[in-house]
Amino acid sequence: MGKTRIENRIRRLRFDCNEMTQQELADKVGVTRQTINAIELGKYSPSLEVAFRIAHALGVSIEEVFSYREETPEESRAGPRTKR
Amino acid sequence: MSFREKSAWVTLITLIVLSITFALHVPHPWTLRPAPSPFLFHVLVMAIIAFIAIEVVAHIVIAIFSPQDVRVPKDERERLIELKSIAVAAYVYAFLSLGSVFTIHVGANEIGVGYMVLLSFVVAEIVNYALRIYYYRRGF
Repeated sequence: MGKTRIENRIRRLRFDCNEMTQQELADKVGVTRQTINAIELGKYSPSLEVAFRIAHALGVSIEEVFSYREETPEESRAGPRTKR
Repeated sequence: MSFREKSAWVTLITLIVLSITFALHVPHPWTLRPAPSPFLFHVLVMAIIAFIAIEVVAHIVIAIFSPQDVRVPKDERERLIELKSIAVAAYVYAFLSLGSVFTIHVGANEIGVGYMVLLSFVVAEIVNYALRIYYYRRGF
């Protein structure tokens, strides 16, 4: 499975928050550590609610955590990258 | 590995081992005439009891070794993984159980068809848990 087009800076922001671990972030957000890992690696796009909770746990706005990468012409020709 | 992934592994392995054990005791469905022996009924009941017992004991063992994971409620990713897996397994079950009915036209009797439907259910469950593990491993 390819990565989603939603990119994130969770790893960097965790580091900035006193090197918060994935488990600590997961506990604050109310999801499993595996889910935080999947989001960090771009394998899973969280719901809007979880995205807000992550931003809140990291003490930043949602725009500082997540961004949407526009499709390149090559990708557009190749079709969708992820099937859900 | 999360509690639910371990749980899926336990269920998958238990299903496969018990299905193979049961299949070794079942004569070819086509030969079950006029009715299966009481021995076969006992094997079926024992298989169901063994499945429940193994599931309960194995999950208690998993919970003892990772108590913090047990308390974490299912999150959205895990719920979606379950839904995706069940959706595929439902198609497998529908296809195989429908196919079971057609076996009556190639020599199976009603008892044979019954066991084919049971087999369809077991295969669908194996697909369900195998897919869950696949999605857990992949991330989503």
